[in-house]
Amino acid sequence: MSLFAFLVTQSLNALSQAALLFFLGAGLTLIFGIMRIVNFAHGTFYMLGAFIGYSAARLTGSFWAALVLAPLAVGAVGMLFELGFLRPLYRRDASAFLMVTFGLALVLGEIIRLVWGPEALQIEPPQSLTGIVFLIGEPFPTYRLFLAGAGIIVAIAIWQFLDHTRLGLLIRATSQNAEMVRALGIDVNLIRSAVFGIGCGLAGIGGVLAAPLVTASVGMAATMIIDAFVIVIIGGMGSFPGSLIGALLVAFVQVFGEYYLPDLALAFMYLVMLLVLVVRPGGLLGKEA
Amino acid sequence: MVTAAAVVALAPLILPLYLMTLVTEALILGLFAMSLDLMIGYTRLLSFGHAAAYGFGAYASGWLLLHTQLPMLLAVPLAALLTGFVAIGVAWVCTQATGVSFSMLTLAFAQLLYAVAFKWTSVTGGSDGLAGIPRRPGPFGLDAFISRSGFFYLVLIVLLGALAFCQALVRSPFGAVLRGIRENEAKTLALGYSTRRYKIAVVALAYGLGGLAGALYAPFAGFANTELLFWLLSGQVVIMVIIGGSGTLIGPILGAGFFLVVEHQLSNYTEAWALFFGLTFIVFVIFAPEGIWGLFTTRLTRDGATPRAKPKEG
Amino acid sequence: MALLEIDELTRRFGGIVAVDRVTMRVAEGEVRAVIGPNGAGKSTLFNLITGVIKPNQGIVRFAGKRLTGLPTPRICQHGIARTFQLTALFPEMTARENARLAAQAGEHRRWLFVGGSTLFADAGRRADTALERLGLAPIANRPAGLLSHGDQRLLEVAMALAQNPRLLLLDEPTQGLSVEETARAVETLSGLLAEGGMTVLLVEHDMEVVFSLANKITVLHRGAVIADGTPQAIKNDAEVQRAYLGGFA
Repeated sequence: MSLFAFLVTQSLNALSQAALLFFLGAGLTLIFGIMRIVNFAHGTFYMLGAFIGYSAARLTGSFWAALVLAPLAVGAVGMLFELGFLRPLYRRDASAFLMVTFGLALVLGEIIRLVWGPEALQIEPPQSLTGIVFLIGEPFPTYRLFLAGAGIIVAIAIWQFLDHTRLGLLIRATSQNAEMVRALGIDVNLIRSAVFGIGCGLAGIGGVLAAPLVTASVGMAATMIIDAFVIVIIGGMGSFPGSLIGALLVAFVQVFGEYYLPDLALAFMYLVMLLVLVVRPGGLLGKEA
Repeated sequence: MVTAAAVVALAPLILPLYLMTLVTEALILGLFAMSLDLMIGYTRLLSFGHAAAYGFGAYASGWLLLHTQLPMLLAVPLAALLTGFVAIGVAWVCTQATGVSFSMLTLAFAQLLYAVAFKWTSVTGGSDGLAGIPRRPGPFGLDAFISRSGFFYLVLIVLLGALAFCQALVRSPFGAVLRGIRENEAKTLALGYSTRRYKIAVVALAYGLGGLAGALYAPFAGFANTELLFWLLSGQVVIMVIIGGSGTLIGPILGAGFFLVVEHQLSNYTEAWALFFGLTFIVFVIFAPEGIWGLFTTRLTRDGATPRAKPKEG
Repeated sequence: MALLEIDELTRRFGGIVAVDRVTMRVAEGEVRAVIGPNGAGKSTLFNLITGVIKPNQGIVRFAGKRLTGLPTPRICQHGIARTFQLTALFPEMTARENARLAAQAGEHRRWLFVGGSTLFADAGRRADTALERLGLAPIANRPAGLLSHGDQRLLEVAMALAQNPRLLLLDEPTQGLSVEETARAVETLSGLLAEGGMTVLLVEHDMEVVFSLANKITVLHRGAVIADGTPQAIKNDAEVQRAYLGGFA
């Protein structure tokens, strides 16, 4: 394969990877922007999406149905958790939040293990998306192309939502000045719950979409939360466009790193995170943590 | 406290064999949890990767016992020192950040170590780990600590010694600075303390003591594997500290005991014991952040002791 | 050579110039008040001096040594103590422990891992003295977080004193204090300053306090120095009166 072809296929790979990571990171950064907390359980919600997607696909026989149902379910779980366990903590310090979401990660992880068993599960992608396409003469999995496309579509959708809808405006306003929004008579707590739900739902979508590629397993959550965190750190905590950039950067580093130095992928991640934290603690585009 | 230690010391004389093993493991985990308390309870450095210390210590002492002729009584402290030494570098890196970034860095480092342990089969035995780790007698043929009850006493002595050291530490000038960092780091800096150096020191100490616990675990169990580096263990030890009572040193030891008891008793009845444990943790964080020991001690000093003032977030 | 030399110190936040080419010379033993309307850049000035933020331009020198660019602890180790506009204390420690931690900062032995009883005794003595000077001895054993606002602000001053500094930076020490507490604070500070040996930079809004304590005044407006001189001269300065919109008696 020519160098050009190689670069193109690997870049497309990276794009599809970036899409998955984007779903993960966008949710985390939205939640941080609004609530100033890092949802330690975010990787677990991603995982939950994969598992619920698996069950939904088996129940309905349709991947597309799973793609719709899973994020809704995950978002609902997220909102319930926020209502029950995070609300009482708004007056406490940041470490309490970290610990509770950490506890949630463990509890949720255990629930997943109990319900679905410790084995990894496989989802079949829909018939229409299996197989390969030929791009510039090289074979490329259709599903990955679909992922890249889905990522772009959702990114645009969220961007439009944040910029042009009333709720989106309220969300942006709350992330900048919650007191003002409250003074306008709007229930900020509702917005917070909504954002937490949306953020978790996004992670859920990522999980479902990832499942056909990466078998859903219980160990995913730890790696995913680190990945999500790196993305958000690079792009800037609370910056939505930043999460896009972060996802792209991480995906490219992972894909090309995996090819050239396969065993060092994790070390790379760690190094990238470190570099950003040292050089630009606010991220490339973000607010201060 | 002395009475408690004396009671515990009588254990080998009265307990059946399998309970002895449980108590020994509880003491080892207690040391592990106590080491983390130095970070979480006294300096408010939330580490989610403390298993790195435990696993590293276990692999180090395991390797030394398998591949050299070092007696156990030398391999264990050597492994602990090695852990503490390596931890200085880790601490330097992690303290570059604060808050949740710090926590993520500790987790990332633990994950890194986990991945390394998996891949570096020649040294760590890969996914199988190290097995058949002996308790080698010596030096000079000293074998009092090799037997089950002998080893129990070794662990007890180490734990009590570490506890005494930690108590002296938190009451020392160094400890006073740690508390300052915990309650208001900006102010501590403004007083002229180079807080980063103190943080590096306490992290290295905490990892060193955690490594000591791990180093004891390897000859205790006879094996060391990647489970000891897994993030689940990092999480469980955080839970032990919080439920037991952070910032008390003794609380986390109790928390470790509580954890083991729950694990062994509940796992007979239900698969969901870990779930129960996680839920208990969340409840404690929300409603009883001072933990079991904290609740217990406030009850004891209800006669007008100074109530806890809420720390300001700096 | 002045004890504190500030040259062309400038700090911008986005489009706003918070501190605009400020140049000041504070002689040893002087009590210099820095006044100006809200947003004039006074607290930013303190943050620049102590290294909490870095300037875009300019230099701060203390006893001839360059402070700019050093990390905060190193700067304060030169003998500079400060109080904060938003009270900064260790809430769960007692007032005495707060002051003791401040006094301990001057010691090299503060790295002791075990023991330290003599160090604690020495630092404790200095802490007790500082607390007494400010009339805080009665509440020495109460957790700082539970003290009244007034006592908290006085405790911060006590902590700064316990550090035995060469330069004391007081950021609105009487803010939020009752009339009686303010009088007590001013009395104590006058007494201390009369003993000499300390140079003070004081940010204050309360003009009576300023005129009671300061022997020189610098006026900031929109980040820049618009006047600099004795209290009498400042009182009569037209530009200063304009800046304050209605002047002061």
